[in-house]
Amino acid sequence: MLKTLNTDVCEEHVYARIFKSLSKDIFNFLRFKYGDRLDPRDKVQEAFIKLWDNCKNVTPEKAKSFLFTTANNMMLNEIKHQKVVLKHQQIKPKNYTNENPEFLMEETEYMHKYQRALAKLTEGQRVAFLMNRVEGKKHKEIAEILGISRKGVEKRIYTALEKLRKDIDGI
Amino acid sequence: MQKEILIQKWLDGELNAEEMEAFKALPEYASYAKLSEKALYFKDESYDVDLEFNKLNDIISRKRQQKTETSTKKPVQWLNPLMRVAAILVVGMLVYFAPIYGDTTTIKTLASNKTAIELPDNSHVNLNAASSIQFKKGNWEEKRQVNLVGEAFFNVAEGSQFDVVTWLGKVSVLGTQFNVKQRVNYFEVSCYEGVVSVTYKDRVIKLPAGKTFKLIDGEIIEGETNEKSPSWSSKNISSFKSVPYSQVIHEFERQYDVKIETQNVDTTQLFTGSFTQKNKELALKAITLPLQLKYKQNTNKITLTKE
Repeated sequence: MLKTLNTDVCEEHVYARIFKSLSKDIFNFLRFKYGDRLDPRDKVQEAFIKLWDNCKNVTPEKAKSFLFTTANNMMLNEIKHQKVVLKHQQIKPKNYTNENPEFLMEETEYMHKYQRALAKLTEGQRVAFLMNRVEGKKHKEIAEILGISRKGVEKRIYTALEKLRKDIDGI
Repeated sequence: MQKEILIQKWLDGELNAEEMEAFKALPEYASYAKLSEKALYFKDESYDVDLEFNKLNDIISRKRQQKTETSTKKPVQWLNPLMRVAAILVVGMLVYFAPIYGDTTTIKTLASNKTAIELPDNSHVNLNAASSIQFKKGNWEEKRQVNLVGEAFFNVAEGSQFDVVTWLGKVSVLGTQFNVKQRVNYFEVSCYEGVVSVTYKDRVIKLPAGKTFKLIDGEIIEGETNEKSPSWSSKNISSFKSVPYSQVIHEFERQYDVKIETQNVDTTQLFTGSFTQKNKELALKAITLPLQLKYKQNTNKITLTKE
């Protein structure tokens, strides 16, 4: 307990620990929320530099919300006119050696639909859904990262799933 | 509703075997399963925490270096006095002309330097040696406020309230001419035109033209002046009226950028008189003869002794 009272983000080991535990979550949070176009990597770096500049004023406990807010604001400054596009990996034929070209085309088509459908979700829905499906995070973890209730997370993910299904299946 | 709970449990990986069967029996099962499977294609595996951390470390260590470089002042022999004056002028002009540097403008003078400043509303300020003022250009229209450390003579254009804030007290006027001198344990306001009000520790003192207000070691002394403007600004003379001798010495140090030491001299005795800012020898005589002191000069150090 004493240790947490005395530690300071300015101390390198504390700073490094925060980076290692949070940077990837922030990176994915930004990707899922705003897409890949604006290089979320850079924003993560910038947010951490800002944390370093303010390390005397931010306690380790406050660092998480400081970083998410800062990174988010940096994105917002740039995002206004951009459309959300999440890159997906190319469907690799080698995994489907016995599939015919027609099947591959359908799959590619599906991914394009998926991409567009994701873009139509609200930011909150998209972030929660992808954190769950892509990162494999439990509802509870997502609730902690986003600072909302678990019920809220469940609602968002479920709504996202239904919207995606209806959109892609064309119902 | 049952379906929603089932799906939410599936999403959180909490389904037991029986529930799993029920979930698989849903007509939309195939769609959900595909959505879930294909979601993995949106994963970005390329984010490498260690690599990113190394990049960040580079940036921060560079930043730190810059900081230590600027904060550790190296002894700079090449900086002769002329260069210093030039540097001050350049910095002063940069600060004055470039509002990009932020809203707050700061103007400083070093020992044995004086400067004249024009504020955004054409008010004039003469800044005595070793003093600084600070003001905000951005909201000057709404709030005419200047922070002062040291001594300055103000000629304020008519308009809204004009405040001079020092850590010893505040001086407020509407439009007039006055001098404010704030030094260690010393605060003096002289009004030359109009009326100024001085706020000191919740007390407000109105000062009409020709009156002075002095605060020496916490004691308030009111006096008079016959001048039209402070002699330091108009005639290059520093003058004193019943001022502790230590203040006179400090003023001399500021005007000539020297250090003065005293031996067996009572620096609390009051001094009335003046010295020129143009001739060091003459000035030294002016402050030593009346008190029957002797002076010895070394480079940049003067010793005063009782005869």
